[in-house]
Amino acid sequence: MDILSIKNLTKSFGKTRVLDDITLCVPEGSIFGFIGENGAGKTTTMKIVLGLLQADSGEIYVCGEKVRFGMTATNRHVGYLPDVPEFYRYMRPREYLRLCGEIANLPRELIEKRSCELLELTGLSGANKRIGSFSRGMRQRLGVAQALINEPKLLICDEPTSALDPVGRKEILDILKQIRGRTTVIFSTHILSDVERICDRAALLHGGKIVLNGTLTDLKASHKTDALRIEFATAADKTRFCENAAPELQNGMECTETEITLHARDIAAAELAALQTLTQHGILPLRLELLAPGIENLFLEAVQ
Amino acid sequence: MKAFTAFCKKELLESVRSFKFLILLAAFTLFGLMNAMTAKVLPDILNGSDLGGLTIQLPEPTAMDSWAQFFKNNSQLGTVVLVIVFCGMMANELNRGTLINILTKGMKRRTVILSKFTVAAALWTVAYALSLAVTYAFTFYFWGGETLPHALPAFAGPWLHGLLLLSLMILGGACFGNFFGTLLLTGGVVLVLSLLNIVPKLQKFNPMSLAADTLYLLSGQKTPADFIPALLICVAATAALLMGAIVLFDRRQV
Repeated sequence: MDILSIKNLTKSFGKTRVLDDITLCVPEGSIFGFIGENGAGKTTTMKIVLGLLQADSGEIYVCGEKVRFGMTATNRHVGYLPDVPEFYRYMRPREYLRLCGEIANLPRELIEKRSCELLELTGLSGANKRIGSFSRGMRQRLGVAQALINEPKLLICDEPTSALDPVGRKEILDILKQIRGRTTVIFSTHILSDVERICDRAALLHGGKIVLNGTLTDLKASHKTDALRIEFATAADKTRFCENAAPELQNGMECTETEITLHARDIAAAELAALQTLTQHGILPLRLELLAPGIENLFLEAVQ
Repeated sequence: MKAFTAFCKKELLESVRSFKFLILLAAFTLFGLMNAMTAKVLPDILNGSDLGGLTIQLPEPTAMDSWAQFFKNNSQLGTVVLVIVFCGMMANELNRGTLINILTKGMKRRTVILSKFTVAAALWTVAYALSLAVTYAFTFYFWGGETLPHALPAFAGPWLHGLLLLSLMILGGACFGNFFGTLLLTGGVVLVLSLLNIVPKLQKFNPMSLAADTLYLLSGQKTPADFIPALLICVAATAALLMGAIVLFDRRQV
């Protein structure tokens, strides 16, 4: 079942069309990476899903219920972590979580129980000081805690790691990993390594359109332009290989002084042909490596 | 209702921890002290001062002079303090984005407006009542108790005027989403109403007349009936401004 489904969503700011007829589904239980460069429209999409911004056209369903601008009925299923979460700085974390729980209409005992669990999860159990004195990383972790207070089916995180140092990033990603399976997570980012670390599905928003969408495994498989890299001991070995390589290898060959990279659709056949050439001419490479496509290459290719 | 109560508690906590409540209490207590003191001492100071041969002979002060100070201070300094303390109550939340977490928890936007107004009105009521009580105590001490005719409508006037200002600041916040836009709107409306109050024919309908002119009820120069049109307009305008704030905020993209 899809926990979120976006159909033909369009949104313009003035004359700039930020979202151009995007359609997207997020299956239940996934950690969904929503990728796009700065200003691609990720936050706009998320804010429309939360009813904070009004769409020009299109429909959005959360848990099968239609989202309406300004109406917050669907938000009872959703937890939201803004990119820079803002809190009442004069409050302490437990007081803030109590406020959030009361607004979400949770019973008092449950609020206390959830607050303890979430402060433990986010490593803030001992931080009984005012939020105003929190570091950015602590505020981000409190942001996760407040977003999870009502045990949402869907957690929407808007660039949760962008403004953090490596330690802060790891802490947030670890928290998101821990809630995998209990809550579906949509995680917008432009940091592709974070997507590879925790997401099982991803979509790329570019030019107002979804240009890639699927599981990471499928995306890698369908956009396979795998490569084979051979490193030679000497430049002479490399030249000998190039001169004697089969014609189908010659087409997609990139050379440096002692290294060549072969590109081919059928990388297994290319690898076999390369090994034959090496054996036939008695060339011993230093290294022969199959290069799997990284997500970074995949997305760079998609936006070019 | 639970969300309303929770947000009211948050507003109260905010007013205490950000010292807004303390500022209100201190300022209006000070006004209360100043009212009777100024009325009592000012004539003595002026009578005793050497003004280069010019002699000013002021009559002996009365309790009415103290109440005149009360209405003057409330309508002038009181308005300034009220605006400074409450101008950012809606605007700052929108400007800083603190409402995003709250609204995405399922809080109705109208509940935000209504709880903010409720708490601001309660704080204003406490501050105003304190100022009134201190003025009364000192006036009683200096001049003894005397019956004040139409006391309830006379003192209700500035209080209602304060509520009107609060609803105006909430509307300004919902409309502009920043402190200075709100300040400009509130200041602009107060200025226009003050200018209109110069026109005698319009005074009867002007909510601004409730801020200071209800003193004339205590002095017997006017009757409560004279203020009914302004009072009705003030109450209606407060309700309309709050409704307007709700409608605007419902449509606002945050």
